[in-house]
Order: sequence, then structure tokens, then C-alpha cells
Amino acid sequence: MKVRTRLVVTAMTAVVPAILAVMWLDARDRHAAAARGLERIALASMLEGGRAACERAPERWGGAPLGPPGGGPMPPPAGPPHGRPHDIDDDLGIGPGAGELAPPILWAYDRDLHAANRAAPAIDGPPDDGLWPGTDVATLIDMPWREGPCARILAIGSAPVRGRGAIVPRSWLWLVPPAAALALVLVAAGPIARRIRQLTRAVRDSAAVGFTAPVPVHGDDEVSELAGAFNAASREVLRLIDERDQRERALREYLANTTHDVMIPLTVLQSYLTTIHEQQAATAPISPDAIVHAMTEAHYIGALLHNLAATAALDAGAPRAAVPVDLGALVGRVLARHRPLARQRSVAIDGAVPEATVWLEGDVTLLEQAVNNVVYNAIKYNRPGGNVGITLDRIDGGQFRLRVVDDGLGIPEADLARLVERGYRSNAARTRAPEGQGLGLAIAFRVAAIHGCALRFAPSEYGGLQVDLIGDELVEHAATGSVPPERGIDAAS
Amino acid sequence: MTDRILLIEDDVELGGRVRDRLVRDGFEVLWWQEGRRLVPGELPPVQLVILDLMLPGAYGLDILKDLRAAASEVPVLVLSARNDSADKIRALKLGADDYMTKPFWPDELTERVRARMRRPTLLRTDVLDVGVVRLDVAAQQVAVAGAPVELTAMEFAFVLALARRPGMPVSRAWLAEHVLADERDAAQRTLDVHVSRIRKKLGRADLIETVFGVGYKLMRRDP
Repeated sequence: MKVRTRLVVTAMTAVVPAILAVMWLDARDRHAAAARGLERIALASMLEGGRAACERAPERWGGAPLGPPGGGPMPPPAGPPHGRPHDIDDDLGIGPGAGELAPPILWAYDRDLHAANRAAPAIDGPPDDGLWPGTDVATLIDMPWREGPCARILAIGSAPVRGRGAIVPRSWLWLVPPAAALALVLVAAGPIARRIRQLTRAVRDSAAVGFTAPVPVHGDDEVSELAGAFNAASREVLRLIDERDQRERALREYLANTTHDVMIPLTVLQSYLTTIHEQQAATAPISPDAIVHAMTEAHYIGALLHNLAATAALDAGAPRAAVPVDLGALVGRVLARHRPLARQRSVAIDGAVPEATVWLEGDVTLLEQAVNNVVYNAIKYNRPGGNVGITLDRIDGGQFRLRVVDDGLGIPEADLARLVERGYRSNAARTRAPEGQGLGLAIAFRVAAIHGCALRFAPSEYGGLQVDLIGDELVEHAATGSVPPERGIDAAS
Repeated sequence: MTDRILLIEDDVELGGRVRDRLVRDGFEVLWWQEGRRLVPGELPPVQLVILDLMLPGAYGLDILKDLRAAASEVPVLVLSARNDSADKIRALKLGADDYMTKPFWPDELTERVRARMRRPTLLRTDVLDVGVVRLDVAAQQVAVAGAPVELTAMEFAFVLALARRPGMPVSRAWLAEHVLADERDAAQRTLDVHVSRIRKKLGRADLIETVFGVGYKLMRRDP
């Protein structure tokens, strides 16, 4: 329902019953006044000779309108007390000239309501006024003498024809103020309805361009608040859509990159396995080199998939699970993961963690992947007989230092700076670079950054690389000694 | 008695490899190829459960829940292809003892299984035996193969620090701070001097091993 229609309907449902009620009260009062007038006329008429005439010939008395004296076929009861038709306005006290009464008609009954005159209407009690007091007025009057055929008189007359006068003013002028108020409401509703229509159009227009254009906001009423709320809602919707798109893009990119990146080491792996198979078929000695390479490629595929997943998680900016992470246990898991690979490549690897473990609040998967990548690089860019050492120590200022050192090939100073630089520009280096350190170290940098840790690269005193992950220890957790939510294996083998 | 392991893994190839490997490493393996909900009392007597998370039949975490609901204390090592923090946190909250993501090397699995099965030995805190080395903590005395060795208080503290976790390296930084009570880098360099003197006093060079880039560890050696 339109606003205007609704206003009209609402106003009508309130005003019409009120007017009807007032009209009804008016009609009732008018009716009652007319009845009182009738009674007075009838009584006066009976007292002024009507009784005698009635009792003289009750079977013929009554039925004729009370006229002026001398008029009418019936023994004329004395006319109304006034020389003019009775005006009930006298009874109402409203003033003269309101409306004229038809001359009343009287019928006589005895005490038991038997009429001697057969023409008299049969009644069994005082007449009923009905639901809506009309212009016909009938009243039953007990005469003071209380006996004889004319002990009770039924007087029938009429109320003023015009339907107002008791409460409601006679003139319809009183309807002007409410009608004017209603009209004003409708006029005032016009601009509101127009503004709502404009807002609807603006919202449709905005929807047509994907909610990128805001809805204009004028004024400071409820309609402008609605426009403002719509703008806020569309901003939120856009933000959600944007977020979803970003996630979707990250996922698509992840799938495409995974497929591409896994195919290469898989091909290398197949090639080594073929070599091994051929050597075995030819009963030639199987080259240990081929086996180690095959295993390296297999390990690389696993690490790559974990790294791609980590990158997708980092790119999507998804909320991360932040729980206290037991760094000692984490180092233990990283050691366990890389010992087989190190053994294959004849690289010694070991580590030490403090007995009282170090806690860090963060995402356990990302942190572990970051440390995995650093350790993986230390093993990969090493040589047979090389070493990798991992230590977790508390240092000054409530900080921890997770250090990975190796005596491998190391990285020249200039390349180190470049590596660090590229590490910060993470996405630039997600392919298997010649050094192969792009993605893994980029992830390590990003993970360190989101955990408020520093990742520092330096030449190690043993000739290889030294990588330090330094951050603030989660002190409250260690102090309260609450149940570690994240348990892992001991650092021992 | 051989340790029994319940392996719940639906992949025939992977499950077979894992079972063969564990059997080769001296374990007895009971292999379920599908997940099934556990009823209290129905769990076969095993010392460890290796549980794959994505299983047909019953979800791995539900099996874990059943286990812990039945008040079973058996260590559970969860295997999953999903490297996801939420999964790990959920599994550990439900009472998993360890979490391993695929792919893994067979020896990595064995190492993790052994670590889980290592029973806490009842340690006398006043006397520590690490192979041929015996430390009497109260008397601050060390003996190698029964022969007493004279150590200074600092040297004793050094050996004790290593003996508390035999076979596990202790970092130089920790030793410098806690044994030498000196955190300067220079102190770390004097550690080598102390160690060579201790090795000489112990009479065997192979008891204390230098761990590259890490520190030192005390090895369990037979006489």
C-alpha cells in the first residue's frame, strides 16, 4: 500500500468511528429530547379536555394528529400549548428555528395496555427505540389518574428531521478542521513519498552499477538516514565481495601454481627413477647419486606443496589460529622431518632446546613451515660431510633466538642482501629460482613478520649461513604453566 | 614383549608401507583399513595408535574422541595430509599426542613413534647413570666405569647438565649462562677449553660429543 493510501486509511479508521459515535450520541439525545416534548404535549392535551373526550368515546378516540384548536375530525384535544407547531428546540435549549415537528398522534390504552379503539396499534410495553434513534419518536405515558380506558397514552411524533443539534453543531462547518488536518497530512506526505521514490530509484541505479556509486544523501531526516544506512550496507557488501574475490583469486592462483610447480620436480623424479630402473635392468651398479636425487625431489615436492599452501594462506589474509606454540617441540618436529633427508645427503643435523620450553603465540603450521624452509635450505645448499645445527635459546630482554647454522656453501654478502630484499618482496619470487630459495625464504620472512619476529641472515662462523629467528617469548604462558595445547616430540632422536 | 601398534589408515599402499616399516623396526602392527567407532572395552591392547584423519566409515577425530571418552591413555599419533592449524589444534585438544603431516619419510615416522613410546623411566634424582658414567648428585661425585673422577664444582655442573638429558645436545649459550654463569660470547669460547679438560679427566674422549653449531651432548657408552 502506498504511503498516501496508508495515511488515508489510517486516518479514516480513526476518524469515521469517532464521527459515527458522536452522531449516535447526538441522535440519542435528540430522540430523548423529542420524547420529553411529546410527553409534555400529550399530558397537557389530556389535562385540557383530552381525558374527558377519550373516556366519553374511547373506541373512537385517538389516531388523529393533534392540530391547532378546532382543527381535525376527532374531538380535538386542546392544541399544543403554543399557538404554533411545537418546536423541540425549546426542550433542547438550543434556540428557535431548528426544525418543526409533525403534530403528534395519541392513542389511549387502559392499565393493561388494551386499546378500546381497534385502530390503535397493539403494544405490550414502552416502545423500543431501536439501535439507531431515528426521527420517529414514540412514548408511552402513564396518566396521573391511573384508571379507565385512557390510563396510558401512546404518543407518536417525530424528532427534528435534520440529523444534528444535540451535540454536533447543526452546521456541517465543524467538519472543516478535521478535513483540513487530513488534507494537510496528505499534502505533507507528498514530499516524503516523493523522497522515498527518489531513494528507490537511486538504490536501483546504484545496484545497476554493482553498488559502486553511492546513493545521494540529502537532509537529515529518516529518509536520509535510510540512504546513509544503504550506503553503509553496500560498502559492507562490497567489502565482503572483495574479500571473497581475493580468496578466490588466491585459490585459483594456488591451483595453477601448484600444478605447474609440482610437475617439474615430478618429471625430475621420474627421470631419476627411470635411470635407477635401467641400471637395475642392466644389472649395472645402481648409482647412489640417482637415488639421493630422487629422494631429494620427492622431499622437494612435499615441501613445495606445504609452501604453496602457506603462501595461499598468507595471501588470502585469512584469520590465523593464534595459540601458544611450543617452540622446543616445533624444533623437535623439524629435526625429525629433516633427519632422513640429511642422512641421504650425508649431512649431520642436530639441535638443542632448553628444558623449560619456549612459547610463542602464533600459527603453528606457518611457524613450522618457516623453520622447515630455513633448515631445508641449510641441508640443500650443503655438501656431503657438512653440518647443520639448530639451537633455541633465551636471550636478553625476554626474547628467544632460534638459530640455524650450517657450514655449507654460504651466500656471498651481495647475494645475501638481494635475498633478504627479495624475501620481503615475497610474491616476486615464487618460482624455483636457480638458487631455489625464493618461495621458502619468502615465506619465512612473511611468517616472521606477522608474528612480530625478526629473521636475520648472516655468514656463519663455520663458513655457511646463520639464520636467526628472534622474537618475544610468550611469558604469561610459561609462568602460569597451563596445559600446553600443542605437544610434540622431544628434540631427541 | 614387542610393542603393539594399532594403525588406522585406509590407503592400502600407504598403510602397507607403514606396516612393513614398523614391523621391520620391531613393532607388532594391527592394521584397520577403515575407521570404526570404538566402544569402551573394544580397543585391542596396543601401546600406540597411529590414526589417519580422513577415513571412510568414521572420521578420525571421532575415533580419537571415542578413545579418550573410554578413558584410554594410549598415545595417539595423528596422520594427516592436511597441513592445517585448526585441524592440529582440534586434534591436540581432543587428546592427540602428536601430529604428523604427509608426506613423511619412513624413518621420520619411526622416530616419532619411538619418541611417543619412550616410557618415563623412574629416575633416581640423586644418582644418574648414563652408560658407564655415574653421577652422585648429592655427593657431587662422578665415576666412569666405577672409577671415581675428580672434577671441580663447575666441571661437575657441566657434566650434570648434559647427563640430565643423555644423548640430547645442550646449547653453548645455555651452558655458558647456567654453568659458567657468564653470558658473554667470550665465555662460550672458553667452553671448549673446559670440555677438553673434562674429557681428559673422564679418561674417554667419546663420552662428551661436540655437536656442530649447537653445543655438547653426553653419550650413553658401554664399558
